[in-house]
Amino acid sequence: MQIEDISKKSEQLIRIKPEDLMPLPCPYDTPDADPAIRELTQDQKNRYEASLDGVLAIGIPKPETKEKEEELIKKFLSGLAKLLTKENNWTFLQPLLHSLEYCVKCQICNDSCPTYVASGKQEIYRPTYRPEILRRIINKYLKKQSILSLKLTGSDIELNWTLIARLAELAYRCTLCRRCAQICPLGVDNGLISHEIRKIFSQEMGIAPKELHESGTVQQLKAGSSTGIAPKALVNIISFMEDEIEEKTGKKIKIPVDKEGADILLLHNAGEFMAWPENTEAFAIIFEAAGLNWTLSSELVGYDAVNYGVWYDDFQFAKIALRHAEVAKTLKVKKISVGECGHAHKAMMVIADRILTGDLNIPRESAIPLLADLVMNNKIKLDPGRNNFPITLHDPCNMVRLMGIVEPQRQILRKICPQFREMEPHGVENYCCGGGSGFAIMQSMNFPDWRSAISGRVKLKQVLETFQDVISPGIPKYVCAPCSNCKGQIRDLFNYYSVFEKCNIFYGGLVELIANAMVDIKKPFIEWEWH
Amino acid sequence: MKIFLAILTYFSYTFIIAMYTIKAVKYLKLPTHLRWELYPVMHEEKYRYGGSYFEQVDWWTRIRQKRYLRGFLFLLKEYFVLNEYFQKNKTYWYFLYPWHIGFILIITFHMLCFFGAVAMVFGITISSSSQSMTGIVFYYAILFTGVVSFVTGAFGSVGLLIKRIYDENLKQYATPLHYFTYIFTFIVFISGLYAWYFIDPTLSEYREFWKGLITFKFIDVEFGAAAHIILFNLFLVYLPYTRSMHYITRFFAFYLIRWDDEPNIRGSKLERKLQALLNQKVSWSALHIKSGKTWGEQVEEPKMRS
Repeated sequence: MQIEDISKKSEQLIRIKPEDLMPLPCPYDTPDADPAIRELTQDQKNRYEASLDGVLAIGIPKPETKEKEEELIKKFLSGLAKLLTKENNWTFLQPLLHSLEYCVKCQICNDSCPTYVASGKQEIYRPTYRPEILRRIINKYLKKQSILSLKLTGSDIELNWTLIARLAELAYRCTLCRRCAQICPLGVDNGLISHEIRKIFSQEMGIAPKELHESGTVQQLKAGSSTGIAPKALVNIISFMEDEIEEKTGKKIKIPVDKEGADILLLHNAGEFMAWPENTEAFAIIFEAAGLNWTLSSELVGYDAVNYGVWYDDFQFAKIALRHAEVAKTLKVKKISVGECGHAHKAMMVIADRILTGDLNIPRESAIPLLADLVMNNKIKLDPGRNNFPITLHDPCNMVRLMGIVEPQRQILRKICPQFREMEPHGVENYCCGGGSGFAIMQSMNFPDWRSAISGRVKLKQVLETFQDVISPGIPKYVCAPCSNCKGQIRDLFNYYSVFEKCNIFYGGLVELIANAMVDIKKPFIEWEWH
Repeated sequence: MKIFLAILTYFSYTFIIAMYTIKAVKYLKLPTHLRWELYPVMHEEKYRYGGSYFEQVDWWTRIRQKRYLRGFLFLLKEYFVLNEYFQKNKTYWYFLYPWHIGFILIITFHMLCFFGAVAMVFGITISSSSQSMTGIVFYYAILFTGVVSFVTGAFGSVGLLIKRIYDENLKQYATPLHYFTYIFTFIVFISGLYAWYFIDPTLSEYREFWKGLITFKFIDVEFGAAAHIILFNLFLVYLPYTRSMHYITRFFAFYLIRWDDEPNIRGSKLERKLQALLNQKVSWSALHIKSGKTWGEQVEEPKMRS
């Protein structure tokens, strides 16, 4: 396949076959172990632009007329031009220009990309493929280079609707894990290019996955949470959690909400309230046991640490970051502590750092070092014997490679889990769960199949290899993933491959393990119940 | 001929310095961006495993220890080893490494020729039998850097050309300009080798040539040496049109992006810069963005309360 083929009309640019994918270890080392990615229906193919790889993450409706197509092409070009200006894109212009201008196309980054490797090295998933297309379009249509120059720089490419539609989908085949950037000796960041392409579509053309925009950030700003939980519903959920804590542990805990002047405003990914309430319950149990002065917020957006804008739209991102800061300011808390959510960590503590100025610049930290402080300094009584099962740690990219929070979670696990083992590679060289950059919440058409079969494949391989000596379903095992999105992806990944049934590998967060080891809780906190 | 050679040399050196300066200034004047660092960050205390100051409770109350020199030495070491390539693609490294060594040494060679010429102006003889130790050191250093650069550079150019043609991964992304660059650099290096082997085994002509440039008493050199001087000069003019500046922008990329973990402290200079950036008007046209308003206005409204 040639790079310029992206603009040539065909029913599908590539076809993914199970036999081409990267092999998996036992018990998935048989030819029939891989479920085929579901084919799109004819109706879906008729309605949406699906000619990239037969998978739909966004599902862009096909333009009805040639004029509409032309209009969209113009919009794409105007968006691309804006992406290269100081006023419109000061947020990422310097890193973007560096990556566009100084990649020498040595391809050294390719094998560090889990999606490219897992797919059986499909050309379109190569980390350098997307940037190369963008470079060629810039050279030809924005810089308007001469024909000779275009030939010399290999920039001759036809910009048409086919290319644009494929590029939009292609921007959502990268998890933004940035392993490719980490390996680049020149500091080129091909992950960033995917991020910036997404911005053209969202900020100029109004095209983004529904789960990220419409039912993501837009809903969060309007209803209060990307999950749709409104403040009143939150109060009910908290009441339910208090009851559940009492039922599980015998402890009567009043979860503090909107407590003015608390030391800590704890922000959870609201997905926890819906899918994994035991995580937020464990936080409450631990914080109460340690005697911390903390609170949750019931203010709009203030109870959902999620910030999907970080993956596709700077403005949506900034709006949510500001709401978070305003909530903390109104409550007069000393600091914001972010729960087990990787992208919320990155969004709130790192990227938003240069959006929040003045009195909105409230101190923000991760809950992980705080938990490590409680565990390592014996501020709560723990019995490691209660966590005596094989356990490994998944490093969320956002927390680890992208923020440098590596050791506190390990300190905790080494202290309270006698059978803790690392997966390889780990720490800052970890592999993405496969659900990064919004993938974990994107459920459009057959995209979840692609996410499990391809972007999550390396993670599955790692987990299986780590537990290979205890892979028998007779031995329960635990993957600790201190991130809500990673847990969502691992849940779907394990479900797709029936990992719980075939290997008895459970997944959960970090605080559940701490609560499970607390000596004053009689029954095990972890219930080994498949979600 | 001697006038042409002198003018071309003055021009090419001035040109490359000016072009690189313009590019560097343009790059450095780009606005402060949002943080987008990647760990390990070399100036962090816990750089060995990639840890950051975020690993501490109440990190903003702690004094951050930064070791910028460590990052500089790390980057410098990478220049001389190209370790990532060695680890990830050894066959590529076998050609890329000599090619880069060729560049590093050919630049060193010309710098030594210049300083050697300055020494000659001050009466120091540069030869293996010089009365001055400086003269002997210059003689052997110039000979070593010159000859080794010609050999390694020529070898690397051919090797990379072959690699780009036959390696499917590289071929797909190679442009005519890539091939031209390899051929061009091969000619530059091989011309140096030819001049040294057949015409000027002590490389004295280059020193004399540079002495002429410094004292404005230009001299004629043998055709082979002149050919190499012309080719090298043309190469210097060509370089700014390639991605060669990566050996400078690499520092920018690491220090200004990959290792930029500077927090925005209230009342800081950084915060004032950011406030100015937030006051810029934007023109994005998606429905959820109000074109014509400033960045700050975009994200602050509408205020919503439950």
